[in-house]
Amino acid sequence: MNKLLRIQPPVFPVEKVIIPEAKMFRLNNGIPVYMIDAGTEDIMRLEFTFRAGQIKENMPMLASTCNMMLTEGSQNYTSEELSRLLDFYGIFINLTAEKDRAGIVLFCLNKHIEKVINFSYEILFRPSFPEHELSSLMKKRLRWYLVNREKVQNLAMDKYFESLFGRNHPYGYQIVEDDFEKITQKVLSDFHNKFYTPENMAIIISGKIHDRTTELLNSCFGGMVAKAVNNYNSVNSYHGEELKKVHIEKPGMVQTAIRIGSTTINKRHPDYPGLKVLDSILGGYFGSRLMKNIREEKGYTYGINSSLSSLDLAGFKVISTEVGQQYMQKTIDEIYKEIRLLQNVPVAKEEMEVVRNYMSGEMVRMFDGPFALAESFRSAWEFGLDNSYYYRLSEKIRAIDPDEITALANTYYKIEELFEITAGSE
Amino acid sequence: MIDYKRFTLENGLRVLVHNDKSTPLVAMNILYDVGSRDEDPTMTGLAHLFEHLMFGGSVNIPDFDTPLQLVGGENNAFTNNDITNYYLTIPSENIETGFWLESDRMLELDFSQKNLDTQRSVVTEEFNQRYLNQPYGDALLKIRPMAYKVHPYRWPTIGMDMSHIKNTDLEQVKKFFFSHYAPNNAILALTGNIDYDHAFDLTQKWFGPIEKRQVQIRTLPEEPVQTEERILRIDSDVPSDSLYKVWHIGGRKSNDFYTLDLITDLLAGGESGRLYTKLVREKKLFSEINAYITADIDPGLIFVQGKLMKGIDIQLANGAVNEVISTLLDKNSLHDEITKVKNKFESSTVFSNTSILNKAANLSFFELLGDADLINKEIEAYNNVSPEMVTEAVGKYFKATNCSTLNYISTRKV
Repeated sequence: MNKLLRIQPPVFPVEKVIIPEAKMFRLNNGIPVYMIDAGTEDIMRLEFTFRAGQIKENMPMLASTCNMMLTEGSQNYTSEELSRLLDFYGIFINLTAEKDRAGIVLFCLNKHIEKVINFSYEILFRPSFPEHELSSLMKKRLRWYLVNREKVQNLAMDKYFESLFGRNHPYGYQIVEDDFEKITQKVLSDFHNKFYTPENMAIIISGKIHDRTTELLNSCFGGMVAKAVNNYNSVNSYHGEELKKVHIEKPGMVQTAIRIGSTTINKRHPDYPGLKVLDSILGGYFGSRLMKNIREEKGYTYGINSSLSSLDLAGFKVISTEVGQQYMQKTIDEIYKEIRLLQNVPVAKEEMEVVRNYMSGEMVRMFDGPFALAESFRSAWEFGLDNSYYYRLSEKIRAIDPDEITALANTYYKIEELFEITAGSE
Repeated sequence: MIDYKRFTLENGLRVLVHNDKSTPLVAMNILYDVGSRDEDPTMTGLAHLFEHLMFGGSVNIPDFDTPLQLVGGENNAFTNNDITNYYLTIPSENIETGFWLESDRMLELDFSQKNLDTQRSVVTEEFNQRYLNQPYGDALLKIRPMAYKVHPYRWPTIGMDMSHIKNTDLEQVKKFFFSHYAPNNAILALTGNIDYDHAFDLTQKWFGPIEKRQVQIRTLPEEPVQTEERILRIDSDVPSDSLYKVWHIGGRKSNDFYTLDLITDLLAGGESGRLYTKLVREKKLFSEINAYITADIDPGLIFVQGKLMKGIDIQLANGAVNEVISTLLDKNSLHDEITKVKNKFESSTVFSNTSILNKAANLSFFELLGDADLINKEIEAYNNVSPEMVTEAVGKYFKATNCSTLNYISTRKV
């Protein structure tokens, strides 16, 4: 073997990402449509999104049930007919109900675009919430719930959200078996009337956009009359639980789930891009400190990561792992050790270089292709931000210095403020 | 239409290149023709453990991931019954780093005891997380040995017993490497922002000098034809009963493959599938139900699995599943539904091929099957399935004597 051939190739800086701007226009009645024309195939992704997430509900599962019931029957189609028609035209539909927003995302070949837009209208604005479909959905959901409650990762994550946001807040409360009995046709249609409305809606389309698509959207959705604007105030404050450390005992488990973290700033805060870099160093990629230490050095787990997310009312960060039951305490100690190191010792130049370049590559992936572009657009837009957020993030990735990382770790990772939730067999 | 070019190096490495300038990235997929079917029955799980070891450093590069992250790259890998597949994406300006990394670990691994010890522990935790710490997690571990008595598909990729990988030593690891990891046992696919000449030059430069190796010849026992119905009951502390059924089918290259794929789509492709419509929606016997075929290269299986609603008798549910399957024998009922699943297959194939990673993985796998052009012919193959082919295949494969049924029973008195 020729040794010369085995020399590492030069490392070129990853080109700065150039993000295509979404074009915006309004339907005749004012509904905003954001268009991202991209990709090589004649396909589309259409997202219809509403401020109709959990934050708007006044009982557990209301937002998600309302969302799931959209395809369970409408004025003109039964549930069965709807699913057969969607399948017939090769349409993929995702029903999404998150903490802040809810809606539907559809994927289709452009040759079926007219069908897709018509079905979307039927699904979003003419649901009939049939009693028997509701009853079978709730019975199914109860079975799924009971299976999920067997898994330590769900036990820990549910408790984690409760701890952060409080047992009475829609971001935080846990579902109990009785809740499955409470949702009626009436509460669903009230919720739908209040929140699935033209003035509460936005459309994001991406892929190969034909003129016809915008015309069809206008003829289908542009004639709806906006109702009188109602300010349905939702909760805007939250109070975390007092108890920082909670263990949920589940006998017979070979692994323990660990969740450590707290609420923090969200995307609107100027420190957020820097915090993203810090989060990556700690546990945001395969080369992160937690992954190297807990998995690659000690072999306590198949995987460990930290993540930083944004909600309308707050951000939150969480370190997540499932570890061999005998490694629980050792893992927790190591997690705090890694946080303290970031608070006290500046990150070395070499590691900064790796994380900068890795994250720059991630940014290229975040804007590669029409679907990725739409998702990235959505996740800035919903916080009232535009591409300048991503350019700031990109700049921060390039320019952040180790002292700033240390300062952020001291400001945002105060150990005494972190919740520590475990689930498994002690 | 996906355009690609292929060439083979002197050392036997097969290479496929598809240029897509709409992306700033390149995907690199390298498939090794080795999976858990190539393992010794006393040392199962080695192929998958090996996949983990491939990230622990190679002869000239102490750590695989860091240099890749340094050029903005991202990677992962998977092992199944048949193959071990490694893939990465890199911004195109840095693609040569991908060649440097992948060729070095094909050249020779840094066989380190420390890395072996750690990854044995990581894989044990993976086993615990996937199979032991989940309700119903062990069902798939139980059903394979019901269907397969001699063929190596009887054990799962992760290994039939964690003691096997705990007992693995460095000598066995080395032997495994040199008898399976070789240019003449691998397929490289490059897709995205890389043109053919550049791909050819870089492949020649980095992989060209690796010598051909003596690859272990594959001699696998053929699974005898099943002649009796097989039923097993497991009692476990889970929230509700669950039903698992498998039937033997032919291999990935058999004539019936696309027919059977279409049959599982008729049964369970979306909420309009027959199993969902009849058994979840109408009769309310199941809370969820699914059907699929394994795409194993050797003769594989059709799976039907579902979780029962509270209070439903599993014998009744089992009978209802068989009844729905037998409705497929009425070919006059099939026409519209066949058009439906064909439309859906076309759509999902088009969507899947928008991803350079999927294109690279598919090109490599189809090349292994002997026909890379399947990437452009799959929709046609699926479209060629007729109602007659469906009824014939249903009659041929869905026989009780070809079936294994696992009744997973909840011990809770709720």
